[in-house]
Amino acid sequence: MKRTGSRCGGYIGQAWLVLAMALLFGAVLAGAHIALQPRIDENKLDETYGQVPHLVRVAIGETGRFLSADRSRTETWETPGGKIAYKAFAADGRHLGWVIKAVGDGFADKIELLIGLDKRAEIITGLYVLAQKETPGLGNKIAGRKWKGKVWADQFTGRRTDVPLEETKAVPTKANQIEAITGATISSNSVCGIVNNAVGEFRDKMGTLKKKD
Amino acid sequence: MAKDGPTPLERFINGILPENPVYRQLLGMCPTLAVTGNMKAAMTMSGAVLFVLFCANIITSLIRHLLKPHLRILVFTLTIATFVTIADRFLAAYMYEMSKELGPYIPLIIVNCVIICRCEVCASKQGVIAAGADAIGQSIGFALALASIASVREILGEGSWFAMRVMPEAWPAWAIMILPPGAFITLGLLLGGANWFGMSRSAKTAA
Amino acid sequence: MDYILSLLLIAIGAALINNFVLKYFVGICPFIGVSRRVDMAFGMGCAVTFVISIAAMLSWTFTNFILQPSAPLTKWIAGFFMSPEAAANIDLSILNYIVYIFVIASSVQLVEMYVRKFSPGMYKSFGVYLPLITTNCAILFACLEIMKHVSTGGGSGDWGSAGGGQSWGLAQALTLAVFGGIGFTIAIVIMAGIREELDHCDIPAPLRGAGITLIVAGILALAFMGFTGVDTKLKRKIAPERETTITASSHGSETHATSATGGSGQ
Repeated sequence: MKRTGSRCGGYIGQAWLVLAMALLFGAVLAGAHIALQPRIDENKLDETYGQVPHLVRVAIGETGRFLSADRSRTETWETPGGKIAYKAFAADGRHLGWVIKAVGDGFADKIELLIGLDKRAEIITGLYVLAQKETPGLGNKIAGRKWKGKVWADQFTGRRTDVPLEETKAVPTKANQIEAITGATISSNSVCGIVNNAVGEFRDKMGTLKKKD
Repeated sequence: MAKDGPTPLERFINGILPENPVYRQLLGMCPTLAVTGNMKAAMTMSGAVLFVLFCANIITSLIRHLLKPHLRILVFTLTIATFVTIADRFLAAYMYEMSKELGPYIPLIIVNCVIICRCEVCASKQGVIAAGADAIGQSIGFALALASIASVREILGEGSWFAMRVMPEAWPAWAIMILPPGAFITLGLLLGGANWFGMSRSAKTAA
Repeated sequence: MDYILSLLLIAIGAALINNFVLKYFVGICPFIGVSRRVDMAFGMGCAVTFVISIAAMLSWTFTNFILQPSAPLTKWIAGFFMSPEAAANIDLSILNYIVYIFVIASSVQLVEMYVRKFSPGMYKSFGVYLPLITTNCAILFACLEIMKHVSTGGGSGDWGSAGGGQSWGLAQALTLAVFGGIGFTIAIVIMAGIREELDHCDIPAPLRGAGITLIVAGILALAFMGFTGVDTKLKRKIAPERETTITASSHGSETHATSATGGSGQ
């Protein structure tokens, strides 16, 4: 390798290609960021907002009137502690209810839930499992419609929130009992626990919610 | 430039079966095991690998005369990491569900030995067309390997293929096939099968 | 107490429950390639643990101070060129992967030079594995896990997660890295032990080498699946009062007591 000029010139002679490529790739990445980032942010919001209509729908029984992912009818409210709740409105501007995101430990990893509540947080109007990594074939039946041909989480719809929910391995006899998934009692129990915790906390702090701009 | 070694077409075909990256060279084992729980994830992964390998091979081939030997690996890594970032962002923007399912395995393409190995062995010595053909051939070989494992795992584990039901309703889904142990055992047995096939064929040609 | 518990849970999770090799399939290449003899496997495991800790420390520092959205150092530097609001909005997270891979590559280099110079004995025992480690997915995987927990802030707007969901500090990141490395060492040493015995077995010719290794790894993974859920139960044993406080305040302690015993009795 021929040394060109001073030592400093030698370094540049060696590394110019790397530097030029770093600049080029930097520009490419910046372009990709500008082009794609708005869509990625949109996707992240849609994941939550898209579920809001389904989760509050049951409370009012107006099945056909909600368009999915209609964000103009959802407001974001916040407690002083930074907890977020989504306030959903009907087409005529009536307040329908709340949707909150709850997180807790499942059997394998964290379980994330979206819980729909009526406007006084007395009745659960819907439950959606946002993320879970429970055992395939057993615990993962908490999400999707693989449990006895039904959606397991739909059991929560219409439950009252003043008594904590509990899971049972038998056929439920009390109003606060949820039928557990066979072979996945811990996952079922975890979901009940997460719902109880989150709804309890929400009822406590409901008064402190303020609209976030 | 004088062609020493196979033509672009031969390179393309070589990558698919005779030099299959997974079954023959045992490269890129990490995504092979991790994302083959269902066909959709496996094919998305293959698409991402095709994109990264093709772009990295083309760029490497274009700059092959400018490369300093000791900075070679650095340049390869920089190129691969850039294209992986682009692929990752693209998936997050247009296939959000898939991007969540694949999670860390898309960025882990950076350290996938298949790509750096092809840059080093082929693209840094060959013309653009040969490098491109090699990239596509190797990617198809990789995709076929992933598809074979994913088919076995999805059909036995969920009774479906590409999320379409193929087994009768009464099929008891073998949950173990979707779990990590199923991945190891499936790949081990398929690898044994591929070796056995290769052995019996070479025995026949020798006889 | 809560803090130590959270570290303990991360440690158990990384080393046993979510074992890097047997659950996430990262680091398979050395797992198959360098698991012929126990001493070699142990050397590789130590080298990986060593590098993974250093890379994790560096990548946590970079993520926390420079790369994550509105990171302090980036904000401070950008503050000289633009308005404070614009500086706070800078998001360099698109550079994450590139920075991590260079952090890993350079820490491997540094470790190799340091070890060769200052402890030749150690260099002899595991120095030969060091260059191989750069393309070991386990290290990049650890960096990515740390990134996820630093830059998302852990979802502070979520309900029902009392105390949890904070963004990770250096201690958490380092715990994950060290115990992830230990988990890798455990897996590869067990594997090497089994393979030494397998040498005396009559294995069908096509399965020799990688085939039988993968099948044995599958059985090992099956065994490690038994650790699933250990952390949840441990948490309930050690800190049962954490879950109860919230529920009790709103539902009355009597009804709650039944559900708590029902929960821990599973």
